[in-house]
Amino acid sequence: MDADVIVVIVVATALVFDFTNGFHDTANVVATSISTRAMPPRIAVGYAAVLNFVGAFISLQVAATIAQDVVNPAAIGLLAVFAGLVGAIAWNLTTWYFGLPSSSSHALIGGIVGAVLVADGPSAVSFDEGIVGKVLVPGVVAPILAFVVAGLAILLLYRIVGRLRPGPVTGGFRFGQVISGGLLALAHGTNDAQKTMGVITLALVANGTISESDFYVPDWVVVSAATAIALGTYVGGWRIIKTMGSRIHKMDTAQGFAAQGAGAAVILAASHVGYPLSTTQTISGAVIGSGAAKRLSAVRWGVAGNIVVAWVLTLPAAATIGALTYGVTRLFGTGAAGPVIVSGLILVGGTLLFVRRAQQQALSGPAEASG
Amino acid sequence: MIAGVVDFTDLVNVIWVSLVSGIGVTFAFGVAILGGTRAVDSSRAGRIVQAAAFGVLGSLAMLTVVGSIVFGIVILVNT
Repeated sequence: MDADVIVVIVVATALVFDFTNGFHDTANVVATSISTRAMPPRIAVGYAAVLNFVGAFISLQVAATIAQDVVNPAAIGLLAVFAGLVGAIAWNLTTWYFGLPSSSSHALIGGIVGAVLVADGPSAVSFDEGIVGKVLVPGVVAPILAFVVAGLAILLLYRIVGRLRPGPVTGGFRFGQVISGGLLALAHGTNDAQKTMGVITLALVANGTISESDFYVPDWVVVSAATAIALGTYVGGWRIIKTMGSRIHKMDTAQGFAAQGAGAAVILAASHVGYPLSTTQTISGAVIGSGAAKRLSAVRWGVAGNIVVAWVLTLPAAATIGALTYGVTRLFGTGAAGPVIVSGLILVGGTLLFVRRAQQQALSGPAEASG
Repeated sequence: MIAGVVDFTDLVNVIWVSLVSGIGVTFAFGVAILGGTRAVDSSRAGRIVQAAAFGVLGSLAMLTVVGSIVFGIVILVNT
């Protein structure tokens, strides 16, 4: 009975994480379209939400990596999965509150690894093939690759359209951004929604609901994860949109198109082989690449540096919170009491952060509008 | 150490597919804009043959963009 209650709490927590992932990562998908005025903010966010939903259905490779390759599903317990999720949510809320673009994906993996390390020891974590081979190395390669692809693409574009009248070119690339922005949203849904599917499936394997030897992702898991990330994306993260869209560098429509196209290409190619990438890191690499290729001084490197620091902190910070959460949960035993109490605490904490943020925005709104 | 734990076939595939698709589709879309803009300009100047040639070029480039995207998604879905 306790195990079933914990499974329900883990599934609900995973869907909340998925929602915060969409909420937190909206900026990755829509900031360039909004920044270049290719789409009005509300339409861009709605469009991204729909394509996030669709994207969640086109592949299951990343879900398989999360459920089978990062930690050993047969050796871990449900409480560790729950604690890892709470660690990831807490980190996502913190970085959202302070307006820092972070990586929801690395927060999730960090949280799970931290909790599993404390709960089940190092032997339950696949450091080599899993963490290094499928998370860290692709995680370093992806933003650099997106930087290079976006940089080369924009140099090529300027050579092709550089002597044309600016009006049709800007209009053409605005239309192009509807396509490239849609692809980026599709890619985001594909890679990020699958991480939640992977965690829920991991919990189902840990609970014995699904056999490790007969691994599959149930349809209800796919549909619920797709819905949660799409809703999160729709609700959006306006503060982070502001950081990503204009503070890294001012873009023209060709740069926006190149950045979104490069980000989508890298994320979709990585999803095909099951790499759980950070979509934040990848699109940021592409945005910076499209700016740096035009003019190095156009990129606000200080802001880009702050984002890098947040990325570096994400894995260890989420791992630490995941480990601490596991410790707190175990204070109440191995039954359902711990997850119920900790879920209540994170709900109260999250609500307080939302209220405080809303109050701050209400106070700063008129000043920002006039500036 | 890294050589032993990273599947370089997958990693290299991601790199070349990203480069070819990211740059290729961008290039094709740039050619589509070039073709469309030149076709309109040529048409306004009364150069009908040139306008038609640029129109065909732009249309082919746009077809390449759409075809590449559909091809990529079909591969993802069928994995």
